[in-house]
Amino acid sequence: MFKKQIMFVIALLVVASMLLAACQPAAEAPAAEAPAEAPVVEAPAEPTAVPVTRKGGWLDEVVFSVIDSGSALTQIQAGAVDIYADSLSSADLPAIKEAGVKYSTSNGLYYDILFNPAVFADGRLNPFVNHKVREAMNWLIDRNYINQEVYNGGALAKFFAIQTQGPDYVDLIDTARSLETKYAYNFDKAKEVISAEMEGMGATLGADGKWQYNGAPVTLTFIIRNDSDKTRLPIGDYVASQLEAIGFTVDRQYKKGSEASPIWIGSVPEEGQWSLYTAAWSSTIIDRDEANMFQEMYLPSSLQGIPAWFSNVADPEFQALGDDLFAAKYTDLAQRKEMMKRAMELSLQDSLQVWLIDGKGFIPYAQNVVATADLAAGVQGAQIWPYTLRFEGQEGGTLKWATQDLFGQAWNPIAGSNWAFDAGAYRGTMSGDVMYDPFTGLVWPLRIESADVTVLDGMAVGKTLDWVNLAFAPEIKVPGDVWVDWDATTQTFVTADTKNPEGLTAKRKTTVYYPADLYQTVKWHDGSSFSIGDVVMGMIMTFDRAKTESAIYDEQAVPQFETFMSTYKGMKIVSADPLVVDYYSDTVLTDAELLVPAIWPTFSFGEGAWHELALGNQAEAAGELAYSIDKAEPAGIEETSYIGGPSLEILAKYLDQDVSDNYIPYAPTMSQYVTTEEAAARYANYKAFYGEHGHFWLGTGPYMLDKVFMTEKTLTLKHFADYPDLADRWSNYGEPKVATAEVEGPASVTIGQEASFDVFVTFNGEPYANADVKYVKAILYNAAGDTVLVSEATAVEEGHFVFTLTAEESAKLVAGSNKLEIAVVPSVVNQPTFTALEFVTQ
Amino acid sequence: MTSETPSKENLQIKSTAADTFKRLMRFMSFRVLMLVVTIVVAVYSTIMIANMGGYVDTIMRNDIRESTIMKVAAMTANKPISGDARRQMQEEMIALEEKRLGLDTPFIIRSFRYLGNALTLNLGRAIYMVSDHGSKAVRAIILERLPATLLLMGTAELFLFFTSVFLALMLSRSYGSFWDKLVITLSPTSAAPPWFYGIFFILIFAAVLKILPFGGMVSSPPPETTIGYSLDLLKHMILPASSLVISAFFISLYNWRTFFLIYSSEDYVDMAKAKGLTSRDIERRYILRPTLPTIITNFALLIISLWTGATITETVFLWPGLGRTIFRAIGFYDTPVIVGTTIIYAYLLAITVFLLDFVYAIVDPRVKVGGGNK
Repeated sequence: MFKKQIMFVIALLVVASMLLAACQPAAEAPAAEAPAEAPVVEAPAEPTAVPVTRKGGWLDEVVFSVIDSGSALTQIQAGAVDIYADSLSSADLPAIKEAGVKYSTSNGLYYDILFNPAVFADGRLNPFVNHKVREAMNWLIDRNYINQEVYNGGALAKFFAIQTQGPDYVDLIDTARSLETKYAYNFDKAKEVISAEMEGMGATLGADGKWQYNGAPVTLTFIIRNDSDKTRLPIGDYVASQLEAIGFTVDRQYKKGSEASPIWIGSVPEEGQWSLYTAAWSSTIIDRDEANMFQEMYLPSSLQGIPAWFSNVADPEFQALGDDLFAAKYTDLAQRKEMMKRAMELSLQDSLQVWLIDGKGFIPYAQNVVATADLAAGVQGAQIWPYTLRFEGQEGGTLKWATQDLFGQAWNPIAGSNWAFDAGAYRGTMSGDVMYDPFTGLVWPLRIESADVTVLDGMAVGKTLDWVNLAFAPEIKVPGDVWVDWDATTQTFVTADTKNPEGLTAKRKTTVYYPADLYQTVKWHDGSSFSIGDVVMGMIMTFDRAKTESAIYDEQAVPQFETFMSTYKGMKIVSADPLVVDYYSDTVLTDAELLVPAIWPTFSFGEGAWHELALGNQAEAAGELAYSIDKAEPAGIEETSYIGGPSLEILAKYLDQDVSDNYIPYAPTMSQYVTTEEAAARYANYKAFYGEHGHFWLGTGPYMLDKVFMTEKTLTLKHFADYPDLADRWSNYGEPKVATAEVEGPASVTIGQEASFDVFVTFNGEPYANADVKYVKAILYNAAGDTVLVSEATAVEEGHFVFTLTAEESAKLVAGSNKLEIAVVPSVVNQPTFTALEFVTQ
Repeated sequence: MTSETPSKENLQIKSTAADTFKRLMRFMSFRVLMLVVTIVVAVYSTIMIANMGGYVDTIMRNDIRESTIMKVAAMTANKPISGDARRQMQEEMIALEEKRLGLDTPFIIRSFRYLGNALTLNLGRAIYMVSDHGSKAVRAIILERLPATLLLMGTAELFLFFTSVFLALMLSRSYGSFWDKLVITLSPTSAAPPWFYGIFFILIFAAVLKILPFGGMVSSPPPETTIGYSLDLLKHMILPASSLVISAFFISLYNWRTFFLIYSSEDYVDMAKAKGLTSRDIERRYILRPTLPTIITNFALLIISLWTGATITETVFLWPGLGRTIFRAIGFYDTPVIVGTTIIYAYLLAITVFLLDFVYAIVDPRVKVGGGNK
């Protein structure tokens, strides 16, 4: 009997413990923080000040492995991994903070409500045909509430199609802040405007408080995504509740992406299958020119090609402005700025999409790790990570890098894997000739020495950095001997004289200068010296795959090639040693630094040495492999992989052939730049490399791919000692210099009298260098929230600025409460800092 | 006369053998036919379900447009490209991708192509998925993951099966004992799935005690020697295999114990006891023998069930097995991979069912193959 009782108790305990474990509530989130100006990037320590002699990357090895994101924090805490390079979502932010690990941020998705702007064919009323209703939706939705409740305060409220805190936003900070204030959450105003418009459209508010039209309730079909990162579900529910609160009947349809896209993309908007959709978009780079976004995100002329855009009847002024901005029809940067300001204003009045949140991702890593994150692309998407990732105060060591997956597709530089996790790994093997600034999106010279950019007079181009020279000219003629095309039959370049005997002009010319010791200092990972052959082969590959006469023709390459050719005007190797290249093109960007052409043999998915590509080309020409999946699939062959699988045997076969033949690809052209001795040396190096590492992946970056274990989903990058630069070359990018700002001033100002306000800007407690501050803007709002003044503060000493409200300016104020908002905009990091002070006028 | 008798007997024997052969052939033909029909229906149903009757084409077309728009936007950001050129590139890329995925052929035609390829074991090439080595051949995708699944599932399930049968047999002979009651008491613990135990095991042994790895099949980077690799593999297998075993152990033991208990209480077992036979003889001759067909059936089905892997447990432990592959294939609507795994499972099941009929006849004299109503 006693045993039975014991057994009964044990059974109860077991069942109860399982139930309790299963029903345990999620860890309670800490209290939400105040609305984030920007997610804070946890500060790694300053790099060591001791002179460094080490070349290449800081680490001896980086070991990549795959883990589940759910265990990332636990594994970092347990020391099983050092960094989880795929970002975690805002939902994980409290846990990240609680775990006490460091983290960096990256751009996540950005979210909005997309409206169906079409008149429904069946006569039902679609309120979102009306611009005023869509505009009023901005007041109906509390973005800060969404940020706090759904994203734990880790995101940014978003009002515009351009990136919040992106280069254009920062440049237009006063306009942006004024409009954000104007369109801040105001439920009553939203209700008032929407009610008036609904009545104007013939709808009536029934006794039940619901809108009616022709005797039927006005029902909004709301497609709410319940998959992806799961945040669109609470957003959708919140917006639906707000709409219900002002009298709409909302049919909430929860759907996965695959169920939703046939409706919001696939259906004809006039059929009225949907009214609103919880949309989301992505941007993983710091986009320095977003003038295209207004056309793209609102107008029927958008390239999106999605029916909802075609159904939007845009305001003519907005249509013209958006199209002009897209086509860069402005004469200078000042005019562009004015056009952007007006477009921002009109975009909120159009509101085909009401922007809600600029999401952020969070990359956690161990306390002893120093990692530089690109403000947009995070760590694994940052070109700079191989140069800065290290253990604090230490040279060498093995860093355990975890990611969500590996080997999503075959690795080849031409058309291989573009999965972010794969790119994060092979990025460590790459170098290139320029370095993208992770904090501003501009580029710095990495291998090149300098560049001269010449554009036509009247073009809106400026420059920020000293390494590029910008000039303007009334005309840019393309010389007759530049390469303007490629003849795949004769395997020679076509010159301008041949193709355009009548002469050719361009809108831009860029001359790029490389250092004299380029060919001595830069090595491929198999030990081969970089040569002019690599540059020429890179150019040939740009053309050859898109030519039908080529043995490696691939129709997948044609769309990009046609786009390239639509603006390409020619290239000329002015000097082979030292390397100097002229490049002619018809398109320009607003930053001269971004007008440096892609001459280095960096392809979309990795670097490629000429002898490395020779093997792949031979295998593709023989129909055994293909670089792109689009070509491999119909042919029933494998996609070329330089790191594993059936490709290796095929590539090895051609390597053996080439070792004995000293094969020079595209000999009619390449043999002018590559000698038989160079070919022999390269193939010998490559064979030894393959023998040692078991793969064919080469690069010139600070780490080399050492070993690959594909089924085990792991790989090892090893320090490349022959990398030409010292390890600390980019150490100043250890931490983004996000400013801290404080404003001090009088609590009361007499109307008609002058008043001064002090702004103190610091970084890590030290005064911020004024040279690194682009400007300090002062925006003054009255009690109604209207912007009454925009001005700039003046620097008086390092990190100290003063904003003076003149007597004339204060005379225009009325008695009451005012808010002075200060926006500090650094030039070295694309992240403004805001602070505010309230004062009364009497 | 005397000489006629053997001749008649011989004729009778020959006639019986011929009848048996005919009966067997008839039986086998019918069974094979039915199994083939079943396989065809099952595989075609799988194709239709996996493609939602062709609706997946619509989903894929819209997904292609959405993803291409984003891809082109990313490709052209910070690049000086004209709008028309970008629009053209976008539309051409969409057309190329639709062509690559076969969307330029009506689904109904593709569905029969899938069926034909499947039945002839021409597994073809995946739509989205690639093998770890970068191949899109479905055969490569499956074969690459099969060893890992067989290793984990095989180890766990075989251990579970034989241990359960052995211990259950002992328990059935000691009905009402402490151990018997303990097993009954703990059998509800099997209500929790293996991954549930897996998460706890990871927390205890990996996160807190730090004596076993969080997941994966081997360490990163893997040991270079064969012995080192094998030991590392075993170390990584402890937690997932334990999860699979623990979650099913008590219920399996309980099932088998109950099953044996029925046979243990038969009159002929009591008779054997009364005759003074040893426990071992009783178990072997009087309990195991009549239960053999059931044990063999369970064992055979267990062996082929290894093919499907353990999806969630493999996911929790990041074990590179087939279960995860099938799960991902369903998520990607990758019909060739789904059909590939289904057809192989279907063939294995059909062959097993077919062979079991003969095995029953061998191990159990009461069963007569093709006996039917005779």
